[in-house]
Amino acid sequence: MTAASSDDARDGFVSVDRVAITYEGERDPALAGATFTVARGETVLLLGPSGSGKSTLALSLNGLIPHAVHARVEGAIIVDGLDTTRTPVSRLSTRVGMVFQDPDAQLVTGTLLDEVAFGPENLCLPVSEVLARAEDALRRVGLWERRRDNPDSLSGGGRQRLAIACALALRSPLLVFDEPTANLDPAGIEEVYAVLAELAATGDHAIVLIEHNLDAAIALTDRVVVLDADGRTFADGPTDDVLRGQADDLKALGVWLPSSTLAAMRLRDAGWSIERLPLTPAELRTAVDAVEPPAASAPATVAAEPAGMPAAAAPEVAIEARGLSVTRARHRVLHDVDLAVRRGEFLAIVGPNGAGKTTLLQALSGVIPVPRGTVRIGGLDPTRASGRAVSRQVGFVFQNPEHQFVAHSVYEELAHGLRRQRRPDDEIRRRVHEVLARFGLEARAGVHPFLLSGGQKRRLSVGTALVAGAPVLCLDEPTFGQDRARADELLRLLRELNDEGTTIVVVTHDMQLVAEYADRTVVVADGRIVADAATASVLADEELLARTGLRPPPLRAALAGSRHPQLAAVTRLADLTRGRVVR
Amino acid sequence: MTGPITNPYAAQRSGPFLYGLNPLAKLAAPLPAMLLLVFVRDIPTALVFLAVAYAALIVGARMTWRLALVLFVAMPAAIALVAAGLAAWTDPVHVDRSVELLTIGSWTLYAGAVEVGLATGVRLGAIIALAMVAGVTTNGVDLVRSSVQHLRVPYRIGYTALAAFRFVPRFGHELDVIRQAHRVRGAHAGRGPFAAVSRWWGYIVPLLAGAIRHAERVALAMDSRAFGAYPQRTERHTVPLRRRDAVFVALFWIATAAILIIVPRL
Repeated sequence: MTAASSDDARDGFVSVDRVAITYEGERDPALAGATFTVARGETVLLLGPSGSGKSTLALSLNGLIPHAVHARVEGAIIVDGLDTTRTPVSRLSTRVGMVFQDPDAQLVTGTLLDEVAFGPENLCLPVSEVLARAEDALRRVGLWERRRDNPDSLSGGGRQRLAIACALALRSPLLVFDEPTANLDPAGIEEVYAVLAELAATGDHAIVLIEHNLDAAIALTDRVVVLDADGRTFADGPTDDVLRGQADDLKALGVWLPSSTLAAMRLRDAGWSIERLPLTPAELRTAVDAVEPPAASAPATVAAEPAGMPAAAAPEVAIEARGLSVTRARHRVLHDVDLAVRRGEFLAIVGPNGAGKTTLLQALSGVIPVPRGTVRIGGLDPTRASGRAVSRQVGFVFQNPEHQFVAHSVYEELAHGLRRQRRPDDEIRRRVHEVLARFGLEARAGVHPFLLSGGQKRRLSVGTALVAGAPVLCLDEPTFGQDRARADELLRLLRELNDEGTTIVVVTHDMQLVAEYADRTVVVADGRIVADAATASVLADEELLARTGLRPPPLRAALAGSRHPQLAAVTRLADLTRGRVVR
Repeated sequence: MTGPITNPYAAQRSGPFLYGLNPLAKLAAPLPAMLLLVFVRDIPTALVFLAVAYAALIVGARMTWRLALVLFVAMPAAIALVAAGLAAWTDPVHVDRSVELLTIGSWTLYAGAVEVGLATGVRLGAIIALAMVAGVTTNGVDLVRSSVQHLRVPYRIGYTALAAFRFVPRFGHELDVIRQAHRVRGAHAGRGPFAAVSRWWGYIVPLLAGAIRHAERVALAMDSRAFGAYPQRTERHTVPLRRRDAVFVALFWIATAAILIIVPRL
């Protein structure tokens, strides 16, 4: 170690110096050489493409790697003067608090108060101190009034705030957040960021934040550290310098950028003279309103015809519900719903939690029983048709792909659907190989489905839903709990399938997904359809979004009310390419 | 998903007298009676123990509609069912054939067979009712706390068990989703025991994969919060062993001995 770098280490409260981590039994390191420091009170956003080792780094900051998860650690990680490879996790817990992605996997006890007290009790603190810390932590996240409740009664956002309180109760000066909002709906994300913003503002904690939702994170970040695909530090500096100054490099690296920044980069390409890249919706709005549209731009409107909508006067109906009501456990989940899914469209079903979105999707795809005569799937009544016949008309993809795997190899998994249709053997062989090739799984045909990577599992689950030739694909929250890169990979696949003619229906909370991909959007609230229209017009109806607890996508929020009429109606990045805005 | 969520962990230390006792005392008191009932053959002894357990529950536990349903409908029905079943199936060679109750064709139901069936039914009912004395008035958290405090059970084991208890509803939900997904895929369709076995086998792999991943995550979260840092941890709630616990256990044991000695001689 050089004299200079040891001086740096003393400056930082956390010092990560050329750290490489290789998991036991693996040849290639998960993290190849990360170097950065974090000062007391500083909020650092850790970015990197999928597989760059961000979560590995997070686990090593409090010693879980190598103490609980076996791995070889090279280089040095020093937190508050302690070498994390030589200090037990329990001792490091007083220096480093952790908040993980899945709120359910962080609960141990039966009441909020017991949960927050769990850490201090483990530290053998006196009862009065345990209670004082628990009260302080619960008050800081706004949950003190609910201290006697079971954590299960909290919303996802509430449970994640509880996890933050648990970390606060340890009074550790460093807090590490690993994708804290990936499992939350929009309201939950706002709750968690309200708490995070307060923590960052008081400045009594150093914060390391791993997050794909940059639109929410950017406001409270002081500094950005970017890892490259191998896990080496690629950039390290103040948020402005890194995100504005190296935006093109970061995009090439596969790092997600704030949607306002991406939008401005597209506008630049289209000839707009935006000098300073914006990071927030407000900055984007100011930036575009300060300049004139490029000279070539005629007074044009954006997306004159709704993209992807079939031009034919009466498009063919793939699935239809008429007067559909569904009752579960004596509770009416859907009331008298009428909905037609048209062939070839990309339809999004959105709405608040518990509105009946998933039930509607399951009813449309024959997954749950429905009253006779209320649903027609490709002309079939699912109450009279066999499951085999229904599966030729519609494929359903569950949230967790593992749940729907039934065979012992990838090949058998795909062949299963065809054998069920009693197709001849040579046709099965041919069709399975087609699907393997289509979804990039040829090299994995003999592997057990559970041994695939996450992205491969997802592709296989889509393949199994389509192998029997179903023209309609229904997906329940397909991007929930996934990192951005994997979500993007799936969405690109859905876009391709849709372009090839497959009808896609998704239930989702991700409004930017809706804006970018869906032709038509259905809003469900309290078991009823409250809106059913082209996506752009649903997203433009602010009163409707507010009433149903939905949030406009960031791009819409930035550009609505812009003085440039050709931008004011834009909701998706694709609309900002040359030839659309500049027409 | 919706609907009120009752808290299985919430401590209930007020209410009728059983709630005020230490969980270990409530387990220890009926234990000799439960073990001895395995060997006792006569109906009166088993009936008296059943009555004692019912008395303890009626006086000492909060009478919810659910408990009432178990005590006054489910339990008598179960005892009658076991008695009738055993009476019909018991080999007549081994029973007292002096009284014939019913004859259908060549088959005869003897009073002795009914007596054997009833004895078994009442014994099983008594054992279950005695177990309910602790079961319906104790929560898992207090039992773990008490075992750690008084039985020197290592807290690392006790609290890990409690965390595992949280998994149960989660797995129930996950199993529902897996069954739904497999049905949609048309996996292992068919009737009969072989189809059922292969169906359940198909659920186990995804369920276990999910369970192991979840357990690993919970373990990391617990480690991050200093679990296992010291040989002891602070206990905010002590679950004391008091004089009343000793009195309860002693009285129960004395009553047990008295019943065993006196009732068969009456």
